[in-house]
Amino acid sequence: MLRYVAGRLSWVLVILLAVCVFTYVIFFQLSPDPAVMICGKTCTPERIDTIRTSLGLDRPFLQQLGDFLRGIVAGRDYGSGANLVHCPAPCLGYSFQSGQSVWEMVLERLPVSVTVAVGAAVLWLLGGVTIGLLSGVKEGTWWDRSTMALALGGSSIPPYVLALALQYLLVVKWQVLPFPAAIPFGDDPVAWFQSYLMPWIVLAIGYACLYARMTRANVIDTLAENFMRTARAKGLGPVLILRRHALRPALTPIVTIFGMDFAGLLGGALITETVFGLNGVGKMASDAIAKNDQPVIMAVTLLAAFFVVIGNVVVDLLYTALDPRVRTTAS
Amino acid sequence: MTESPAHRAGPDESADLLEVEGLTVTFPTTRGPVDVVRDNTFTLRNNETLGIVGESGSGKSMTALAVMGLLPRGARTSGSIRFRGTELLGRPDAELRRLRGNAMSMVFQDPLSSLNPYYTVGLQIAEVYRCHRGGSRRAARRMAIDALGRVGIPDPAERVDRYPHQFSGGQRQRIMIAMALICEPALLIADEPTTALDVTVQSQILELLAELKRQTGTGMLFITHDLAVIATIAQRVLVMRDGEQLEYADTERVFSAPRHPYTRMLLESIPRIDDELAAPGVVSPTARPARPTDPAPAQEEVR
Repeated sequence: MLRYVAGRLSWVLVILLAVCVFTYVIFFQLSPDPAVMICGKTCTPERIDTIRTSLGLDRPFLQQLGDFLRGIVAGRDYGSGANLVHCPAPCLGYSFQSGQSVWEMVLERLPVSVTVAVGAAVLWLLGGVTIGLLSGVKEGTWWDRSTMALALGGSSIPPYVLALALQYLLVVKWQVLPFPAAIPFGDDPVAWFQSYLMPWIVLAIGYACLYARMTRANVIDTLAENFMRTARAKGLGPVLILRRHALRPALTPIVTIFGMDFAGLLGGALITETVFGLNGVGKMASDAIAKNDQPVIMAVTLLAAFFVVIGNVVVDLLYTALDPRVRTTAS
Repeated sequence: MTESPAHRAGPDESADLLEVEGLTVTFPTTRGPVDVVRDNTFTLRNNETLGIVGESGSGKSMTALAVMGLLPRGARTSGSIRFRGTELLGRPDAELRRLRGNAMSMVFQDPLSSLNPYYTVGLQIAEVYRCHRGGSRRAARRMAIDALGRVGIPDPAERVDRYPHQFSGGQRQRIMIAMALICEPALLIADEPTTALDVTVQSQILELLAELKRQTGTGMLFITHDLAVIATIAQRVLVMRDGEQLEYADTERVFSAPRHPYTRMLLESIPRIDDELAAPGVVSPTARPARPTDPAPAQEEVR
């Protein structure tokens, strides 16, 4: 088991390294010259050269890549002499727009994105899985048909439409919620909750609909298994049969999908954050894309890749705990 | 007597173990109702093994599931199924549940898919015992270990905590048998218990079933498509085709003097070791089809 974990983790390092190289090539080698981007409109060739030297863009590609990777692990220095700037590890460079350390920008915004992701995940897991379980057990009933029709509709609505509609109804028309604003939890927990409620709902609805349909399908498949017939032949009660024999096989596949979806969201819910003006990683990414702020775009890409890779490993390890058949082949 | 709930009714010594009378099982289809079992009548005496033979779709499994009260949703039954003198048809599921796994239990064809892959075999055996007899988890686990030992699983105290996929096919069927017998049922229904197994394992499982039956005195309903198996295990045989009973008699009589042409054809379809010795080109006077493992085409000749 330990060897399996160690093996998986060493692969994580390899994959992350590959992601770093890939994104570096895309954003620094195939994109417009970063030095020109930083210099702005009033620019002279001399200034561009200076910037290029201070960023190390005049050096060969592999050396630049090495500098970049070393910066992430050990920090790096930009410029020389009086202009020397030390960028502590993990160094992701400085924003072309604000000159702020990208790592600091990420740290500032990450809690918002994590809050959005966690809250939405709780909602969609509770809602989607519960509805899916009930629909699967009551397959073909009025409840099943109506919830599945709703789920199909719900997963077809784009989040920005849903966000605007909710804002109009809840904030403008009925005035049951205040306009979304960034309120720290410590200042006013109720206001904090209210400010996040709409983003959570908007983000959760699409996933909840998907999870309801997936859970329902899994439950129906499980109920048709031979071991369910065995359970009935043993004389077990219907509640015990569902709780013990159906629930685990039906929900285990959901864990995999959930791990991936949740990890993907940690890297920022771009549309939801932008629509609600939440200052998270997703909004930072969309701002950076609009202004071609390469170090920021790159940092967000790396961050998202990091979460997805880590999420994958966590799911794999969880799976070995949940499914005994995986356990034996893994150990 | 028939008014008292089945689980409370003590075994009525005068009654036969299982009396099925005019059992008809009907499924609704888009083209109207279809009888999968029609007017089936048979009796299983105490300590007896009754074999039910027939090809796929003959209604033999549906007969068994009807006895267990495990027919798929939508199936309709009529007739009478009396277990130790008590009528089972029309009884609420909660009452049948107290019989299932307890006074009557069933072993299925495919042992791997019949076991839940997520739980240890110990838990799956012990839960039957706890469900019907109660008691502590630990006591039930001890019973499970005992049961595994009785069906010939080596090192049961250690293997009780293993999962189904960690056993061989034959061992899985032994586990299913242990599970079915842990509450010492009066009736054991074995639905093609050896079909999914290798030939050598098949005979081991048959021996085990016969041995356990000798020890416990359980009555057994043994369902198979294989007449050769019936000859070794059953005292009486019921032959079914298309939901109908064709022949119902002592095994010896069926093998020595089959009355129905279909039974004769089934008997002739058993491959014999001396078949190879027959000179090629010599056609036997009975003109049997060349070893049809699937008797369906030959059926036309019979009609």
